[in-house]
Amino acid sequence: MSAGPYNYSYIFKYIIIGDMGVGKSCLLHQFTEKKFMSDCPHTIGVEFGTRIIEVAGQKIKLQIWDTAGQERFRAVTRSYYRGAAGALMVYDITRRSTYNHLSSWLTDTRNLTNPSTVIFLIGNKCDLEGQRDVTYEEAKQFADENGLMFVEASAKTGQNVEEAFLETARKIYQSIQDGRLDLNAAESGVQHKPSQPGRNTLSSDQQFNKDNCAC
Amino acid sequence: MLLPTHENVINIVQAKFSCTEIVKTLHLNASITQKEWLDENRILALVEHDSTFALFIIISEKLKPESFSDLTIERAIPIDEHFSCDTDPIPESYTHIIFSIIYKKIKLNFVIEIGFESSNFASEVIRLKEISSLNVNDFHWLDKYSSGVSQTEINLQDPAMNDQSPDLPIARQKIAQGHGISANRESFLRYQLSLKEPEYTHLQEFSIFVGTWNVNGQPPTISLKNWLSIDQEPPDVYAIGFQELDLSKEAFLMFDTPREAEWRKAIMDAIHPDTKYRSVAYVRLVGMQLEVLVNNSHYKYIRNVAIDTVGTGILGKMGNKGGVAVRLELHNTSLCFVNAHLAAGVDEVERRNQDYNDINQRANFRRHPYTIREHDQVYWLGDLNYRITEQSAVQVKKHLANEDLASVLLADQLNQQKDLSKVLQDYSEGDITFQPTYKFDLNSDVYDTSEKARAPAWTDRVLWRGKGIHQLAYRSHMDLKISDHKPVSALFKSEICVVDQNKYRKVHEELLKKMDKLENEFLPQVTVDQSEVIFDIVKFREPQYREIIIANTGQVLAEFEFIKKLDDVSYCKEWLSITPFSGCIKPGEKCDLRLTVNLEQPLENIYDILVLHLMGGKDMFITVSGECQKSCFTTSIATLSRAPVPLLHLTPDQFNHAENQQSPILYSIPRELWLLVDHLYRNGLKTRELFESTALHEEIIRIRDWLDLGSMDQIPGSIHAVAEALLLFLSYTRDPVIPYHLHDTCIAASSNYQNCKQIIMQKMSDLDRNVFLYLSMFLQELLKYSNENGTDPKTLATIFGDILLRDPIRNSRPQANRGKASFIYHFLINDQSSLIMPCK
Repeated sequence: MSAGPYNYSYIFKYIIIGDMGVGKSCLLHQFTEKKFMSDCPHTIGVEFGTRIIEVAGQKIKLQIWDTAGQERFRAVTRSYYRGAAGALMVYDITRRSTYNHLSSWLTDTRNLTNPSTVIFLIGNKCDLEGQRDVTYEEAKQFADENGLMFVEASAKTGQNVEEAFLETARKIYQSIQDGRLDLNAAESGVQHKPSQPGRNTLSSDQQFNKDNCAC
Repeated sequence: MLLPTHENVINIVQAKFSCTEIVKTLHLNASITQKEWLDENRILALVEHDSTFALFIIISEKLKPESFSDLTIERAIPIDEHFSCDTDPIPESYTHIIFSIIYKKIKLNFVIEIGFESSNFASEVIRLKEISSLNVNDFHWLDKYSSGVSQTEINLQDPAMNDQSPDLPIARQKIAQGHGISANRESFLRYQLSLKEPEYTHLQEFSIFVGTWNVNGQPPTISLKNWLSIDQEPPDVYAIGFQELDLSKEAFLMFDTPREAEWRKAIMDAIHPDTKYRSVAYVRLVGMQLEVLVNNSHYKYIRNVAIDTVGTGILGKMGNKGGVAVRLELHNTSLCFVNAHLAAGVDEVERRNQDYNDINQRANFRRHPYTIREHDQVYWLGDLNYRITEQSAVQVKKHLANEDLASVLLADQLNQQKDLSKVLQDYSEGDITFQPTYKFDLNSDVYDTSEKARAPAWTDRVLWRGKGIHQLAYRSHMDLKISDHKPVSALFKSEICVVDQNKYRKVHEELLKKMDKLENEFLPQVTVDQSEVIFDIVKFREPQYREIIIANTGQVLAEFEFIKKLDDVSYCKEWLSITPFSGCIKPGEKCDLRLTVNLEQPLENIYDILVLHLMGGKDMFITVSGECQKSCFTTSIATLSRAPVPLLHLTPDQFNHAENQQSPILYSIPRELWLLVDHLYRNGLKTRELFESTALHEEIIRIRDWLDLGSMDQIPGSIHAVAEALLLFLSYTRDPVIPYHLHDTCIAASSNYQNCKQIIMQKMSDLDRNVFLYLSMFLQELLKYSNENGTDPKTLATIFGDILLRDPIRNSRPQANRGKASFIYHFLINDQSSLIMPCK
C-alpha cells in the first residue's frame, strides 16, 4: 500500500490545564466527540484524547492530555507539561477565582514547557452570560500582556472550541515552518512522522507511546 | 527468534528442502480463510536460497509434524517487489488476527494467534521484504515448486481482493498493543469513500471521439479534418489510434520513425477548431500509435495517467503486432483506451484471438497496476484484422453493391468469434452501417483489384465495455484515400462520475470524524473502584492491606502499570508495595491489586499519589493516605530519655518538648532500652543463640505495644522475641547510637582500642555514650556465660557493629562491615567499668 494523503505527518502533544471544574474535560470531549458531557465527573488523573486535523494541507494528529484540576494533584500533573507543543489554559468566566489563579498556572506552564510551546487561554462557559464574573476585556488584556492567544468558548454549545484547538495547531505548525520549533529537540512536543504504513503496523506508534510514559 | 518448541519442527521442515535452501523461521497453525482453499493445517515457512527469500505454504497432516512425510509444499511465493503483507483484525476476536500475504493479484488470508510467534514471524517477513527491494533477485530455484498452481491463482483473483467487511475494520489488537489505527486509516478511508461514492458524485455526460486508421505506412499528405472534425460539437475527449504508421525496417528495428511527429502534427491540425485540446498521453509501439487528447477545461480532472504496450508479433513479443494502451481517470471514472493491431491473414482467426488474450493478460500499466478489464470504461479500437470468410470476394462485392450489409456481416469473423466468446467477450459494438474499410486500392474507393483480390472486410473496429456508454455514431470516412484502409470513428456520450467537491468534503470529513471517534473509543479504558485508599492507624512494622479493583470497561486490552512521578525514584513510597504493579486486563475483566503498607519510619502520617498508567491511554491518580502511630522504635534516644511516661501516654506538648530537647533528660538511657536489656540480663544470659533466632511477628507487636503503652504486666513474648525487639529497637531509632558522621572515623580507628575508646569518650553525646557503654557491658556480661549460651565476641561484634554503626541506607556499604565489627569487638573484650560516668 502506498503512502497516501490520509496518514498524518505530525503528532502534536497538547495539555489542558486550569482549576477544577472549569470544563477542561468537557472541552476535550466536545473537540473529539462533538458532544457535551453534562455530568462530567472530576478527572482524577490525566485523560487522553486524540483527533486528526488538517493544517495547511498537512494531516496532524493531536494527542491531548487533559489533566486533573484539583489542587492536591498539582504536584503530580506538573509531570505532564514536559514535551507539550500546545497548552490550553482554561478558566471559568462565571468564577473569578479560577481567573485569579491563572498567573500560577501560567508560571507552571512557562517553567515546565519550552519557550516555543504555544499557550492558548480559554474562558470557558461563555454560554452562561448571565453569570459572568470575568469580563472579556480584562481577560483579553491579561492574555495580551502575557503574549497568549485568547478566546471565550463554550464546551456546551461548542462555540469557539474547534477554533481554539485548531488555532493552536496552526501556530505550532507556523513555528515549525519558521524554524522556531526544533523538531529534533526531545521536548518539542512535535513528532514528525513520515507516512510509512508498512512499518507503523509493527512498531513506531508503540515507540511513541513509550516515550510519553516517562513521566 | 525461534520459539524453543519450534526447533524440532524446523528440522523436519528443513528436510523438505535441499541443503542450499535454508528454513529461517516458521509459523505453525496458520489456517487460511478463503473458501476456495481446503481447510488444512498449514505451516508458513521462510526459506532462503542464495540471499533470496520465499514464503512457503506447507500443508501438515498433523498439528505438529513428526516427520517430513507429514508435509506437502502447497505453494511458494517469492518475496520480491510484487510481494507484500498486512495484518488485519478479526471483529470480536482478541486472540487472533488475519495475516494477509499479497502477491500480485493474489491475496491469501491466514488466521493466526496473536503472540510472540506471530509478531516475530510478521516482522521477519517485513524485514525480508525490505531487503529484497534492494536487491536483484533470481527466483529460478522456485520453479520446481510452482507446478499446479495456476488454477488457484485464477480462483483467487478479484473476489478475494475485495473481501473486506463493510464496516470499518478496526485493528483492535493493534490499538490494544498501543499501535493505533492510524496505519490502517488510509485503506479504511479509501474503502469507505468508495462505498459512499454515490453520496458525493453525480454522472455527467462527456463526448468521446474514438478513431482508428491503418495508414499503410503512408505519410500524412492529406488533412484529417473530414475524420476528426466531422461532428458539429467538439468532443470532450479524443482517442486516436493508427496502425502501420511506418512499415520500414528502421521503424521495426530502431523503434524510431519520422512518421510519429508527422502524424501527431496532422492530428493537431485536424482536431475540432472550436475548442482547445491538450494531449494527455501518447504511446507508440512500432506502427501502433495512440494519442489521447482532452478539452483543456477537463485537463485538471485527469489523474493517474499511464501507458503500456504489448507486442504479440514475431516470437510472440515483437511490436509489429499487438496493442498499445492508455489508462487514466477522468473525475472519478477510470478509462482505458486500447489500440490493437491483431494478426493478419484470412485464416489466422485463432492467432487474432490469442493476440487479444495476450494483450489483456500482459497490459498492466506498471505504475498504476490495473488490468484493462478493471477499468470502469474500456474503448477497444484498431485494425483487428477479422475478415469475411464463407463468402467469396465476388459474393461480398455483390451484396455490397445491393447495399445488403447484413448478409456480409453474418460472415464477419469478429461477430462469429464474439458470439463464441472467443474474443472481446462482453464488449459491445454499434451496428455497422458503413462499407467494409479494407482493402482498397490506394487513393481510390475501389476494393482490392490485385491478384489476391481479397474479400472486403471490416478490419477496423471500435468496441466498448462498461456502464453508461452510449454510442452516437459509428462510421467510416471514405474521403481519406491515401491508405488501403479507410479510417473509422465512433462518437460516444459516456457517463463520467463527477465529484461534487462540497459533498465530497462533507463525506470525507464525516468519515474522518467517525474514525477519530472510533479511535478514541478504542483507547483503553478502565475504572478503579476507589481513587482514595485510606489506611487505618498505621503502626510500626504491622502491615496493613487494601484491595483495589481495576475493571476494563473499554473495548480493547488494557495494559496498566504504575509509573514514577517526576523526580521520584520509584512508582511508590518505600512504605508501600503494590502487587501486581503492572498487568494486562481483557475487556470486561477485572484485576485485584493489593496495596500493602509496612511502616518502618518515624512518620506522623502517610500520603502519596500513585499514577496508574494505561499503555496508549490515560493515567489515573490513586491517593493513598493514613495516620501513623508513634512508637519508641522510631523515636530518637534523646526524646525517649526525656519522656516521663510511656510514649503513647505523652501529651502532644510533652512529646514536642521532648522532641525539641526542651524538657530535661530524665533517664541516662531510654527507659524502653533498660526494660529490654534488664529482662534479657535477668532471664536470658544462659539462653543459646539469643540474638540469632527469629521471633513470631505477633510477639514483636505485643512487645512494641507493651513498651509504647506501659504495663504492670510481665513483658510479653519469649526471651528470643525480647532479644529481637532489642535489635529492632537499636536498628530503627531515629539516629544510630553512633552518629553517622563518626562512622568513618570509627572504622579508621578500628585496629586500635585506645583510638576507639577516645572516639567514644570525646566525640559522642552523653546519652549516646551511655547507651553504647550500657550495651557493651551487657554484652560482656553475656559473654561471661558463653559456655552455656554459646556466644562468642566475634559474632556479637558483627551483629551489633552492623546495628550501632548502621548506614543511612541499609547495607549500602557491606565492605565496611568488617571495620564496624572490629570497632565493637574492642568494647566486648576490654573492661570499661572505669568509663561509666554519672549522668549530668
